Amino acid sequence: MIPMKQSLTKTSLILIGIVCVLLLATAFLAGCTSTAPQSQTPAATPAPVSATPAPTPQPLVTTAAPVSTPAVAATTGTPKPTFTPSQGNVVAYTAASLSGVSPKLASDFEKMYPGDQVVFNLDGTQALKTQVENGAYADVFISASNSYTNMLKGEGYFVNSTVHPLTSNYVIVILPASNPGNIQSLADLANPGVKIAMEDKSVPAGTATVAVLANLAKSTYNADWNSSVFKNVVTYETSEPAVATKVSLGEADAGFVYESTYTAAPKNTYLAITIPKKDNYLQTYTIGILKGSTSTGASADFENFMLSAFGEQDLKDYGFRPL
Amino acid sequence: MKPAGSIPEQYRRTVTYIAAGFLILSVTLYLALPIAALFLRITPDLFFSSLSDPQVTSALWLSLFTSVISLGVVILVGTPFAYVHTRCSYPGKVLVDTLIDLPLVLPPAVAGVALLVLYGRAGLVGRYFSMAGISIAFTTLAVIMAQIFVASPFYLRQAKSLFEQFDLAYEQTARTLGASPLRTFLAITLPLTAGGLVSGAVMTFGRALGEFGATIMFAGNLPGVTQTMPLAVYVGMESNLASGLTISILLVIISFGIMIAVRLLSSKEVQHA
Repeated sequence: MIPMKQSLTKTSLILIGIVCVLLLATAFLAGCTSTAPQSQTPAATPAPVSATPAPTPQPLVTTAAPVSTPAVAATTGTPKPTFTPSQGNVVAYTAASLSGVSPKLASDFEKMYPGDQVVFNLDGTQALKTQVENGAYADVFISASNSYTNMLKGEGYFVNSTVHPLTSNYVIVILPASNPGNIQSLADLANPGVKIAMEDKSVPAGTATVAVLANLAKSTYNADWNSSVFKNVVTYETSEPAVATKVSLGEADAGFVYESTYTAAPKNTYLAITIPKKDNYLQTYTIGILKGSTSTGASADFENFMLSAFGEQDLKDYGFRPL
Repeated sequence: MKPAGSIPEQYRRTVTYIAAGFLILSVTLYLALPIAALFLRITPDLFFSSLSDPQVTSALWLSLFTSVISLGVVILVGTPFAYVHTRCSYPGKVLVDTLIDLPLVLPPAVAGVALLVLYGRAGLVGRYFSMAGISIAFTTLAVIMAQIFVASPFYLRQAKSLFEQFDLAYEQTARTLGASPLRTFLAITLPLTAGGLVSGAVMTFGRALGEFGATIMFAGNLPGVTQTMPLAVYVGMESNLASGLTISILLVIISFGIMIAVRLLSSKEVQHA
């Protein structure tokens, strides 16, 4: 194709190739030497920016979720190995909001049950449900929505006796650390020109957000505020972490996520505005073993681990609310 | 498998025909059966009632609108670019050649992240646009930019290859007869390469129409503004199966329509890049 101007063409191509290899090597080395993701609950956000009086319920918040104290952490510590006859692989279809905590869950599970391994498929619960309904293989299903769990139970995918509530989460509003939209309170979300990121209504976090906004409109603000907020939505993401990403990149002025996402993020990534409990929506997560599972022993081990003090502690460390 | 030599003379032709038939059938079925399954999964009344669903119609209109504009930009800018690129030699030509092919191998989601980090409100270039009051990310413009980025290689490679293989004698004859370079290009080169360029344009349009990863990353997902058909299928499949299937079928019909139209319009055999 390209006429070969010998030395110049070949040199250019070799140079491009060397640059690519160097970049790949740098990325590889950086990945190998980086430490594990954060496992401590981060401290409070920097001092609140606003001092708004009345009608708004809260100024910018400090912490949102219960902080695990060192004393509590000491009582659980590292799980002691329990040897069970099942040495299996668990495929866990898990709600995307557990993305941050999943590596810790995997390593602690494998410490507690040596010989067992877990692989997470993390996606919006609605996507996972569709996959299971269309024949995808999974051992354990961790759902962020009671209604999706009930649907799957009704359709006969769950071993109903193994379905248990796991943990819970409230909704919170996060802002980029630089607060480009100058949002001081929930009322400011309706200001013209504010860019809000939200989950699609099929995502459990999206249904929760819609409910929260309706509650706020009824109790504190009005229907106009509610419709103005929806007019400010620039994107309906298909999973909860995607909203957090848009906010952390500074592309959205505000986003509705779970409190766990805010609590588990490194310090100073986000600012947050809490939503009063009476208007908030407590999302309950459930865990259950699916009928189609073939590693029932390992799946039972995994469910035991998740419901045990160690699993609950890991979740708590990453900002989930124990039930 | 018997080695060819041991098949008796009289059966050799039959065996060849059967083997060839099997090959053609398996490839055809592999491509055709998933399409057929789409049509069979939904009932006609459900399909037609979904057609009036506002989410379906807005996604359809938005997809066609953005893909046509993307195609227009790629053709208007890409044709002269490909011509100049093949006729002139300039420093860094090899690098530009590589860059043209880059979006082909780059995962679309990566392209989306790259565009967001550059043109987003907090981006390297986007922050200046934002100061001037122009927002790029999360707009229909972002959809068009994402489509152009991922789909342009199809047209550019085709145009490049056509202009390279074009017999210079035609152009030189025109020049000796007094035509300017521009007139030569418009009157001689372009009409003779039009068939191949149309083929490249079809591939570009198809790729732009089906773009998902870069769109959802850079433009977001907002019905009526940035929710193109592939995004609507993805979201629809999880909440409303009927609308997801309807949009998928519409995409298939549109794709088939384009291909048939091109076959009818172009009479020549076309070389592909």
